[in-house]
Amino acid sequence: MTHRDGADKFAELAYALMQGKIGRREFIIKGTQLGLSAAVLAKISRPAWAADNLMDSAPEAPYESPITKERVEFIKTKPYKGTTINVMVLKATVGDGLKYHVPHWEEETGGKVNVAEVPIETLHQQIFSDLASGLGRYDAYMTGAWFYGDFFVPEKPYIIPIEDFLADPKHPNWDPDAWLPAMRKLYEWGGKIYGVLFDGDAQALYYRKDIFTNADNQAKFKDKFGYDLPAPPMTTKELHDCANFFTGWDWNGDGNQGWGLALHAKVNEQGFFHFLSLSAPYVISPDNKYYFFDEDMKPLINSEGHLRALEDYVKLAKNGPAEEISWTLGQGWNLFLAGDSAMEPTWGDLPTLAQDPKTSKVQGKMGAAGIPGTTEAFNPITGEWKKYDLNQVGNTNGGSWHCVISSLSKNQEATYDFLAFMANKKNAFFNAANGWTGVQPGMKFEYLPPVGSATLDEFKAQGWNEDDVKEYLTGYYSVLSAPLQQQYLRIPGAAEYWHELDVNISAVLGGQMEPKAALDATAAAWEKITDRYGRDKQKALYKASFE
Amino acid sequence: MAAVAVRRREYGSVFKYVLLLPAVIWVILFTFVPLISVIRYSFANYVLGQGITGYVGFANYADVLTSARFWHSIIVTAIYVAVTVPIEVILGFLAAWLVNLGAPWSRGFRTVIGMPLFTLEVAIGYLGVTMFSSQGGMIDSLLGLVGIHIPWMSTPWGGITAAIILDIWRWTSFVFLIALAALSAISSDLYDAAILDAKSHWPVMWRLGVPLAWPVMTIAILLRTIECLKVFAIPFALTTGGPGTSTEVFSAMDYLTTIQFFDFGKGSAMGIAFLVMVAVIITIFFKQMRKALD
Amino acid sequence: MINVLWLRSSLRSRVVVYLLLIAAATFTLLPFVWAILNSVKTSADTFDPGAIIPFVNFHPTLDSWINVLDDPQTENAFVSSVVVSLGTTLFSLILGVPAAYALARFKFPIGTNDIAMWFLSQRVLPPAVVLVPFYLMLVYLRLIDTWTGLIFCYSTFNLAFAVVIMRDIFRDVSTEIEDAAKVEGAKPWQIFWKISLPLSTDGLVVTSVLIFAFTWNEALFAAALTSQQATTFSALVLASRSTRGVDFNVASVNTLIGIIPPVIMYLFVQRYLARGLSFGAVKG
Repeated sequence: MTHRDGADKFAELAYALMQGKIGRREFIIKGTQLGLSAAVLAKISRPAWAADNLMDSAPEAPYESPITKERVEFIKTKPYKGTTINVMVLKATVGDGLKYHVPHWEEETGGKVNVAEVPIETLHQQIFSDLASGLGRYDAYMTGAWFYGDFFVPEKPYIIPIEDFLADPKHPNWDPDAWLPAMRKLYEWGGKIYGVLFDGDAQALYYRKDIFTNADNQAKFKDKFGYDLPAPPMTTKELHDCANFFTGWDWNGDGNQGWGLALHAKVNEQGFFHFLSLSAPYVISPDNKYYFFDEDMKPLINSEGHLRALEDYVKLAKNGPAEEISWTLGQGWNLFLAGDSAMEPTWGDLPTLAQDPKTSKVQGKMGAAGIPGTTEAFNPITGEWKKYDLNQVGNTNGGSWHCVISSLSKNQEATYDFLAFMANKKNAFFNAANGWTGVQPGMKFEYLPPVGSATLDEFKAQGWNEDDVKEYLTGYYSVLSAPLQQQYLRIPGAAEYWHELDVNISAVLGGQMEPKAALDATAAAWEKITDRYGRDKQKALYKASFE
Repeated sequence: MAAVAVRRREYGSVFKYVLLLPAVIWVILFTFVPLISVIRYSFANYVLGQGITGYVGFANYADVLTSARFWHSIIVTAIYVAVTVPIEVILGFLAAWLVNLGAPWSRGFRTVIGMPLFTLEVAIGYLGVTMFSSQGGMIDSLLGLVGIHIPWMSTPWGGITAAIILDIWRWTSFVFLIALAALSAISSDLYDAAILDAKSHWPVMWRLGVPLAWPVMTIAILLRTIECLKVFAIPFALTTGGPGTSTEVFSAMDYLTTIQFFDFGKGSAMGIAFLVMVAVIITIFFKQMRKALD
Repeated sequence: MINVLWLRSSLRSRVVVYLLLIAAATFTLLPFVWAILNSVKTSADTFDPGAIIPFVNFHPTLDSWINVLDDPQTENAFVSSVVVSLGTTLFSLILGVPAAYALARFKFPIGTNDIAMWFLSQRVLPPAVVLVPFYLMLVYLRLIDTWTGLIFCYSTFNLAFAVVIMRDIFRDVSTEIEDAAKVEGAKPWQIFWKISLPLSTDGLVVTSVLIFAFTWNEALFAAALTSQQATTFSALVLASRSTRGVDFNVASVNTLIGIIPPVIMYLFVQRYLARGLSFGAVKG
């Protein structure tokens, strides 16, 4: 490559960055391929919000760390005195997490926060009734990541991007670059950031490390299956064998029958996320990124890969009590926490709850890993199966609850200030380390070194068992940082699409439908939903959600 | 005299409207707009954030009436009502009869048996999940003492039966209170006369209690049936319609369609279809009732 | 309440009656006992088959009780529910009782049975269908998240009870007394207010109890039309389901707390239930 070519290429690259066609990461990667220094590239492309004068802490602001000089000066003026912002949140868990920070922010800035707690049943209806009717009584809403599509349906979106606020150093400091990329996508739309950090959900495989590393069990397993008991299981075959192995006898020594795998598969209760996480590696691979639809909005959900995944899922469900098909989250977790289930694929709430001796018998016994992968995946676009050594897929399945700012709000700046306050490193870490907030770690710094800057002592101070927290964070991180990720559905009507899948899978688990019929019915229902929302619009938004 | 009589008749004329119209006007005001909205939506395609994107004629109705899920929910609701209401009526009446006998401590029994009416249905549904669970549930433990284990929460029939049992527990007291009021209105002379040639109170119940309380009971049955047709909280809190949609009552399906997915077109069409069906049932029922009252 | 039927029953009969009554009472009380147990259990114990007797089989905890009672929203929701239920009852009676009297005593161009049925038809439509139009109406009236808004909505649907039940009560009230009063020169409204109404107290009591109980119990409208200031207790119980599924222990506490006001109201009004209802079956 001549010097000339290199310069041209670099110019193209820089132009693309400025136009927003490529992200910063891509810029740096491609730039280093041209032979330039990564450090220099990073400096050139530093986003507007990179603060220059960050201090570790300031006595005037005991709740923020790190903090900018501008911020310290700003809060001295009690800037939001006389301003009240209204926030709508979910009752319990994440709502409690938010409420915890309210008095601190009020003390710091003089503002007032009015928190309305609503049931999860009516959250979506409340948010969109408030917005669509023009009433706009609330400045910020705690939203689930799957509502995003609905915010962008009207000409003028219902929520506003926060990039301008981010660039302003007088607001609490937090760095979106610290997000694990998979998680960051859920807070963005069309390349701009709309959500302020709060929760970061993903499903991982949690298992009883003590039981899996027990010599007796290992010997028995080898006898039965002919290979070493994998701790953790890495492939779906291993997952099935382990689940099978631990079902039907008392390996826990408490007099109750043991089970291989617990599920919380109740319909209309987030149970379908099990299927999404477990089936991802059957369809997503280095050769295919589409799970729900192809580029023309044709449903892929009834492909051969999905079908095999569903058939396997039904087999897997036999390794838990029959009743688990109607278990709500707590009931599913309970089986594991009582010590009677060897594994459970679920959210970070499980290891968090495991730390409470009042409800858990498994503190100190946790293992965590990514969802097992496949050795053969289907490409629904080309219609072919392909073998892989190990095709593992990460996910960001779950609500990832966080606040967005209403475009109807008259106090957008103050609202952002409050939300950023909770996203500030110190507060964000507090949320992630304290289980009762229902918040999972989505930011790198919340993890242990070398990834992040958290210390074991900080976690132990909140009651975490040392081994458990190491396992949890390693496992969780591997899911969020996996190079292959299951896309999150972020188009209007996501809840409805998922609901159709949910009821049909539940019918299969209940023995009322055959897997193929269920998936075909789901695909047909999805077509109808797409038509209702407007096929072209959905197609465009679906494409946009990949960028 | 005639002039006074005429004036009084006119006053009577106006007076009756003064009594009636506030209620009528209120109901019209508050239901007219919603009803028109619902009818309008039922002929339209509604999308959250865009509003009505177009009118589709009877497409929503066609969708609904050919939807297996819709009919399934109607059947589930029909079974629910057909089993629950008669049992509640019979048990409620029996309980009222027994309490009305006036045994010592009847007042205590009256309070206790009347209590379920004041519980919150949503809470009872959630309580039911723990009661019917095979993991330490009260019902499961009690039945387990005699070796019976019913898969309440893992099968459709189990789920619906559990919901029905909860419903009977909660609503029998409704019938009980009304029946008790009716029975205690019968003068003791009548009771006295009836028991003279009867060996026990049971024949008195058949010959006296049932016929005299029948007009009251028809109202109770009518009210209870209407409420039961739109049952929502207890079954939904218990099973959320699952497994699949096997225990989904009509209200649950409509709730999901309208409130969760903002599909007003289909949800409204469902509602109107349901309204028509129930109106037919009630009209037939009411004709029977009219015969009993006139 | 000593009844001649009891006095003349044989011993065997009496035993049977008591056995049945005790069975009924036990059936009624069991879920309450279960709720009490659940309210002091941890979530793990809730699904433990062995955890039956507190202190013997499991370690009871007041965590859920403290959780609920410490929450300021509990108290607010409680007050809201009481206000809305009482308000609805009063408003429904004010509008519905005169209407019921008119339907009982007078003739109208449309048959009174048809009018009564029209009122009743307001109760047929499942709330979910009309919820969003009601929301929009309340937006227009600026009554979202207010007690008044809820009272207006609930009254619309509960008028039916007042009208249907009281109409038959009034038909039962003897017209002889009314005619006598008319002859004496009483005006129609005086007859209504001073004679018919007092004679129908039992019906009023039953109607009030029913409307109160129905309003107290309603969760969906409350959860959808209020977000903070006017949230009722029923909507709060609905919120036992959160991102972590249902908190069964909190729900049990709420079951127990939630029963108190209606039961108090019920016990209070029982003393007015002297005569009972006959709905035209028996006169005098």
